[in-house]
Amino acid sequence: MTKEEFREALKPIGAGLLGRPSQQRYERPHFPIRPIGDMLSDLAEIEPWEWYGYAFSREPLNGKFHDDQRREWMEKSLACGKEYAGIVCREYGTQDPEELAKAMGMNVSYPEFPEKTDRVLFAEFRVPDKICIYMDAVNKAARLFLKPEVTQVLTEGLDVSRLLLAHELFHFVEERYKHEIFTKTEKIRLWSLGFIHNDSNVIAFSEIAAMGFAQEIMKIGYSPYLMDVFLVYGYSPEEASGLYEEMMQAAKRVPRPASQESSVGEETTV
Amino acid sequence: MEYIIGIILLISFFGLAYYCIKGHNLMIGFLLITLLWTILPLGGTLFVSESFLASNPILQFGKDNTLIAALNKIYQSAPEGWGTTLVNVCWGAWFGRVLMDTGIASTLIRKTVELGGDKPFVTVALLNVVTALIFTAMTGAGPVIAIGVIVLPILMSLGIPKSVALFTFMGSVAAGIYINPVNFTQYRAFFLKPDEMPDFTLGWYAAHWGYAALIIMLVITTVLAAFYLKRAKTVHAWAAQTRGAASEQKNAPFYTLILPVVPVVLKIWLDFSVIGGFVIAGFLALFLCGRMKGSFKENCQLVNKLYYDGVVDTAPLVGFLLTLPMFNSVAALASPYFKVILGNVMPRSEIVVCIVFALLLCMGLFRGPMTLVGCGAATLGVLSNVASFSVPFLYAVFAIPTITVNIGSCITQSWVAWGLAYSKVESRDFLKLSIPNAYFAGVLQYVATFIMLGGLGAAWFLS
Repeated sequence: MTKEEFREALKPIGAGLLGRPSQQRYERPHFPIRPIGDMLSDLAEIEPWEWYGYAFSREPLNGKFHDDQRREWMEKSLACGKEYAGIVCREYGTQDPEELAKAMGMNVSYPEFPEKTDRVLFAEFRVPDKICIYMDAVNKAARLFLKPEVTQVLTEGLDVSRLLLAHELFHFVEERYKHEIFTKTEKIRLWSLGFIHNDSNVIAFSEIAAMGFAQEIMKIGYSPYLMDVFLVYGYSPEEASGLYEEMMQAAKRVPRPASQESSVGEETTV
Repeated sequence: MEYIIGIILLISFFGLAYYCIKGHNLMIGFLLITLLWTILPLGGTLFVSESFLASNPILQFGKDNTLIAALNKIYQSAPEGWGTTLVNVCWGAWFGRVLMDTGIASTLIRKTVELGGDKPFVTVALLNVVTALIFTAMTGAGPVIAIGVIVLPILMSLGIPKSVALFTFMGSVAAGIYINPVNFTQYRAFFLKPDEMPDFTLGWYAAHWGYAALIIMLVITTVLAAFYLKRAKTVHAWAAQTRGAASEQKNAPFYTLILPVVPVVLKIWLDFSVIGGFVIAGFLALFLCGRMKGSFKENCQLVNKLYYDGVVDTAPLVGFLLTLPMFNSVAALASPYFKVILGNVMPRSEIVVCIVFALLLCMGLFRGPMTLVGCGAATLGVLSNVASFSVPFLYAVFAIPTITVNIGSCITQSWVAWGLAYSKVESRDFLKLSIPNAYFAGVLQYVATFIMLGGLGAAWFLS
């Protein structure tokens, strides 16, 4: 242990002895930073159905599933989202998320809300008709569109707030068709004791279908899950890089190594 | 003259309350008040009436009770005596780190969620019970944060509003703390020296009041969560959860999930050593979860690292905890003056104490004059010196504002402050939920206190 390391190690104890309460005792893992263009281009190559590993990683019941089930449900949920995108667009005669929201009688707001890097909130749908698109993340990411390698992958003129709105609109559609839609009717049995049993929906189905819905409406070729990296990058290139690694590993691909040069350059531009 | 000194002491007490509420450094605040409460009562002996001095032997100095001995008692013996408590805190923190490192705590949470599924109320109720069980053994901000990063995203992904998720999690953490042996030892030291009243053990306390307090807190938190959930609208959120411990899906073996409650069970059932329980359950956890498969040197390093991390978790408390006993000790010197001023005002019957404390529960918020981890230590000093109550009764009276109000419901609690930042809940939204919880639970706990701990025999009074 070097003298510097020793001093660092003693710091929190010293702070404690001085009665200085430290609220964050939780050290986050560190990741090498990669250029945003490289990460987006790698992630855009992942087929939408290949995202099942990442999509289910945030599912509370994930521990009960195996990969074949995850993959099957991924495909069914994506198909469900795309199917209902078609139904809704035909019904209202438009593919514009804002017009759809208006036609559906949604109450959409765009608050500016500062975020922290451990959980970045992009958008929310509150039953029955309230949608919030959190513009802090969108505005931070807007600066990244100045990079040609970003527009090349995401397509020029992509309106991120509309993409988020499209995703949230699915949850409204899902509530409306809750007695017939796959994401609400497909259940898994958690446990049974004789006659008593507990069947549950899987939350990941809704989120996957909402991604499929948004992808169909926005006519984009890549999975909207990619936005997790893109929007987090505005807050922390390092956290975004960590998410990128996780997504690549979940899709059974090898994350590209980070070069020292690019890390420094990228960090200073954001 | 004793009246004037009493009034100055009283003003300084309210000054300390204001200082704590403003969020200033507790350690320095208590050091300053200790100094003031040393100077005023001792200096005052030169000016007070002879009858006052004659009726208070604690203020008479001579061959048997020298001034130096009195000062040594305050500034040396008192903090030294707290050392035994501190050792328990450190071992408890180590055990908390072991449960996190082995994945036992996170596995317990995940398995619980797998029982409840997508039904928010069932999952909240089950998670509350498991969280409370976990925190009967774990202690400190580190473990709360480590469990919080697992529980809170799960609750939010079920569509539970973030403020409800945060309040119910924090409430169930506080419920577990009611029979946490480390917290019990810590708060017991406010009332007694370690060797005093040996019958007042965690087992006795749990059987006579602790379980009831835990159950009341847990039930009220869960019922209120159900009430809020019924009124709240389901929320679907698109949020990026960046990589952290929460994303590591490390499952501990099923049979190890019982280990978190082993130290508490051993202590309550057999009155077995708390530290012994932590060591046994901690090493069992490390071996059974395959964390001790390295060389002897590597295993030593792991145990050492976990101990270091655990001690760091408790570090913010250490300074405060080591100043507090000086204050507790000096309060005895100040008490004759308080008696002169407040002797006729302070409640002397148990029912009145319960009613007054229940009404003033909100003063346990913001480190106010009711919480032991704020300036409630001063209130305890005054109350216990101007009136006579049994130790278990007094313990419960102060444990409620400390645990239910301060630890479970106040934004000045370090892990609540972390939770607000993590889940992006506004302070006022959290307090709107947590204050009713504190009042409902607190009032019922005072009723339980009066019924279960009222009218205890002479054996439970300090001579």
